[in-house]
Amino acid sequence: MVGPITLILLVLLIGAVITLLTRTREQARVVALISSGIGLLIAIKMYLTYVGGAGMQFTESVSWIPSLGIGYNVGVDGIGLPMVILATLISFLCVIYAWGEGNRPNQFFGLVLLMDMALVGVFASLDFFLFYIFWELTLIPMFFLIGIWGGPRKHYAAIKFLIYTHVASVAMMLAIFAMYYFNGAATGTYTFDMVYLLDAYSKGVVSISPLWINLILGGMLFGFMVKMPAVPFHTWLPDAHVEAPTVGSILLAAVLLKMGGYGLFRVIIPLMANPDASTVFVLVIAIFGVVSILFSTFVALAQKDLKKLVAYSSIGHMGYISLGVAGAVAFGASEVPRILAETGAMYQMFSHGIITAVLFGSVGVIQHATGTRIIDDLGGLTKHMPKLAFIMLAGFLASLGLPGMSGFVAEFAILTGSFSQIPIFVLLAMFGIVFVAAYHLWAIQRALFGPYNEHLGDIHDIAIYELIPLAILVALIIVLGTPNPICSHLFAEVMQPTATHILSMLPQGGLL
Amino acid sequence: MAWIDYAYWIALLPLIGFVLELFIGKYTYKRGGLFANLAILGSTIIALGTLMDVLGGARIDVSVPWFYDGIVVGYLIDPLAIVMLCMVSFVSLMIHIYALGYMEEDPDKSLYFAETSLFTCGMLGLVLSNNLLQLFIFWELVGLCSYLLIGFWWYKPEAAAAGKKAFLTTRVGDVLFLAGIILLYFNVSHLPEPLSFRYIFSFEVLETIPPAHLTAIALLFLGGAVGKSSQFPLHVWIPDAMEGPTTVSALIHAATMVTAGIYLVARTYPIFMASPNALVVVAVLGGFTALFAATLGLVVNDIKRVLAYSTISQLGYMLCMLGVGSIIGAFAVGYSLFHLISHAFFKALLFLCAGAVLHGLANTRDLREMGGLLKKMPVTGIAMLIGALSLSGFPLTAGFFSKDRIIETAYEYGAATGNFLPWIFILVAALLTAIYTFRLWFMAFTGEPRSYLAEHAHEASKIMTTPLIVLATFALFFGLAQSRFYEFVGANFDSHLIEELAHLGGYHFHEAHAVPFIVMILPAICAIGGIGIAYGIWYNSRVDLSKYISKDNPIYKVLWNKYYLDYIFKDLIAERLFGFVALVAEAFDKYIIDGVVNAISWIVIKIGSVLRKVQTGVVETYATAVVIGVVLLIMLIGGVL
Repeated sequence: MVGPITLILLVLLIGAVITLLTRTREQARVVALISSGIGLLIAIKMYLTYVGGAGMQFTESVSWIPSLGIGYNVGVDGIGLPMVILATLISFLCVIYAWGEGNRPNQFFGLVLLMDMALVGVFASLDFFLFYIFWELTLIPMFFLIGIWGGPRKHYAAIKFLIYTHVASVAMMLAIFAMYYFNGAATGTYTFDMVYLLDAYSKGVVSISPLWINLILGGMLFGFMVKMPAVPFHTWLPDAHVEAPTVGSILLAAVLLKMGGYGLFRVIIPLMANPDASTVFVLVIAIFGVVSILFSTFVALAQKDLKKLVAYSSIGHMGYISLGVAGAVAFGASEVPRILAETGAMYQMFSHGIITAVLFGSVGVIQHATGTRIIDDLGGLTKHMPKLAFIMLAGFLASLGLPGMSGFVAEFAILTGSFSQIPIFVLLAMFGIVFVAAYHLWAIQRALFGPYNEHLGDIHDIAIYELIPLAILVALIIVLGTPNPICSHLFAEVMQPTATHILSMLPQGGLL
Repeated sequence: MAWIDYAYWIALLPLIGFVLELFIGKYTYKRGGLFANLAILGSTIIALGTLMDVLGGARIDVSVPWFYDGIVVGYLIDPLAIVMLCMVSFVSLMIHIYALGYMEEDPDKSLYFAETSLFTCGMLGLVLSNNLLQLFIFWELVGLCSYLLIGFWWYKPEAAAAGKKAFLTTRVGDVLFLAGIILLYFNVSHLPEPLSFRYIFSFEVLETIPPAHLTAIALLFLGGAVGKSSQFPLHVWIPDAMEGPTTVSALIHAATMVTAGIYLVARTYPIFMASPNALVVVAVLGGFTALFAATLGLVVNDIKRVLAYSTISQLGYMLCMLGVGSIIGAFAVGYSLFHLISHAFFKALLFLCAGAVLHGLANTRDLREMGGLLKKMPVTGIAMLIGALSLSGFPLTAGFFSKDRIIETAYEYGAATGNFLPWIFILVAALLTAIYTFRLWFMAFTGEPRSYLAEHAHEASKIMTTPLIVLATFALFFGLAQSRFYEFVGANFDSHLIEELAHLGGYHFHEAHAVPFIVMILPAICAIGGIGIAYGIWYNSRVDLSKYISKDNPIYKVLWNKYYLDYIFKDLIAERLFGFVALVAEAFDKYIIDGVVNAISWIVIKIGSVLRKVQTGVVETYATAVVIGVVLLIMLIGGVL
């Protein structure tokens, strides 16, 4: 009897293979819809049966290459499970959104399913080797999505995406090997088991020189910071987004970037607990966070391309995750705000995923309808696209952190929770809030409002298959931002115990 | 069961109204408006019923937990909350009824009512909130609705720009407010459930917060209030906000938005009381804004903008009252709130009258194109006269009682502390208020019609004039309620607690001195004198102003350019400074950061082209390399194992 995680992976893998083999668009999209739908349903089933607590659940462990200590170990906790749901949800909605895709539909939908599978694998792996395989596997579908269905400079963007993130992955891989080796050398058990290794390193039972632990930490951090991406390792992202097809952008921004954030919670915090690890990393992460927030905001202000603007907004929002993690691990007398900050950062992971999907989805609709994304060439779109205007306005308001929507819950928790530990950084981040609102509203004003730009001709409103997934996401954004059991459950019952558990690895009171 | 147990429906009903209007409004009676009006009627009834309960001594404070330990949502009913709730729901109801006529022709009528319903929900929820976080959430909801409604006619570029300006300007205040909340949390985080902000008003808690932090918190809250209540220097959004439908202006100015800032200061008055120097800032800033805005009201020719400046000015009075209240304690809240509510009545009245004028004159807002309207639209003219009298503080109107009390307290404050500045500010402002208000009235309603449109103006329909008559009645007679009101709302905070806190903040209460008779009648003199001056200039034309109204007159020029604040904020700071920063950031991103990335890849490719010579194309070479690699790998793994 296979467990639910394996079941999801199998369903998606088989679905991907079948989809690739189909001959018509009709077959391809139906198969893709069914298999991604089953994946989502299993994930939701897992969520409903998840018992709020610290430990890994739905674990499966099969020995794979015993001589090297590699095992097929999977399982999820309060951060992995929401990410699995996010991956399957976004992929499922992407299949609906791309219902009208006519260019090589079987390959297109097959790659979306493959992407879905790889992402679920990343968030559910409990073995570093397996984790790394899935981590690298995500590159392949995205590379082809950009390279085949992309815009004019698709080859440049695809190669840049692949090489840049791959270089980061190599740094991560070396760090993994080092962890593997030093642990084996010290204890005699060579294993890639993630839970075991992280536990050993966080407690400092592996004798390792400070230089090596800091190199490991640095390599890991580099891998994750490129993926998030944090300024200054972010330049692959706008290029990739600008050239990627809409579905590619949605998957990239909504889920792929979360792998970097996920790494912070899963790997970086336990490693920082190592007694020999340098506490400077707290500052480094905080600086990455604040610089990402502020810098991306000002660059976004200057953007002329709507999609690039949205891409930079992603960088800023991911910066909040770094900020929250730094606030959580930094020293503070009370642990209540630190847990709040970390849970807020986890919440931001999910919240940003659904918000940014709405943004990229609406920009894609505009591009499809008008043939342009240059803000100044748009104008008054509300006249012909009232439904799109509604969805896009909702998405932009959520993105600028409007209370009553999920982003505010996360950002409030991060800012409030981090303030007592790293007040200066929090104040700097808050300085950006007004400008975040400014570039969002300015873009909306120029694109949607004002007199209609008649050069655009007679355009159609959003198609029904594009409207449904975006409307579902908007509803979810509001559900996760207003007082109701679903919001409280995700925050307090699912994420918070895991955040508490992860923080408990650190010395009492935190670092620095 | 008592009304008070259902008080949360006061905010919930307009939310339901919003949803119904949004999705099915346009398929119902007259394409929208039905649900919003019914919902707000329901809110008004429940609010009035709850008022009866509260007058009978009932109080309630209920919370349910939300997403984190101590973060709660709930509602609180006390005298301060209930008088606001009654005012907001009632005035909003009047405006909604009026809008049935005013927005009758609009193609997006149901959307309009959906948004105003949500707007009302936001304000009612803000008032009901029993904790600061929830208050902040509704505070932003109000901001969102104002953004949407100011830009309701989105196809007008000015409207879209004005909506954005309103949102961003108030957002500056919002961030300060949020920083205040976070700083407060920082200081109370040792308490159980700190995020519920449940104990903050007790002496024991405020005592433990360092005075510097208390002042910072109070001033940050004040920053929020300055944004929302459009005080100097964040008032710049309000005149532009006149691009929205006039009913929206009425809502913003009377019921649902700008009073939120005053309410925030009143709600957190214990914190202000305990903060050294914070109330001095409040008093001076409020007084200054009152005068500052009044001077601007003198020169604009747009009928709605005159009223907009009068709102800024009157809100300054309310804030000033809370500030000078540092010498009288808890009662200051009652005095300030009384002006807030009487202002809501006459300002809603004035805006709705202005709306009727616009309706009759095909949306002309320029006073110079009006004139002689009293004959064409007598009901509107009389109603507006009543509103103007009340705004000017003409004796025995509602505005007279509420404003008189503030000016008198400001004098006592001056006598007690030696700081007469607030008193002088608001006294001069009172004179100017009367002048510009009656300038407006005389220019619009008397004399000869000065344009074709003014000659052919017509009175508004019954559904629009009825709310005018109701509001006019309140603007005239609300003053009768004053002493009962002071007792009711003035007792909202425990006077003993406030006294202890004042000690903490270094404020000293003073017994009311006998105010000299001349000081007592000065406000009335200002009002009547101001009306007289306006009469002389704009009705009788005894004074010819034309030689002063020119761009060569430096004073006129400064006033006409709104003290250049718009220019400084928008052109210099927003566009030049931050526009430049954005461009620099973008260039840095493109050429430096990405330049380094591309340079590295260029170097790697160069090295690669050197190494390419190793790639001989001879299969044997490759095979040798592969074999060596595999052997090395096996040795490595073997060594490890």
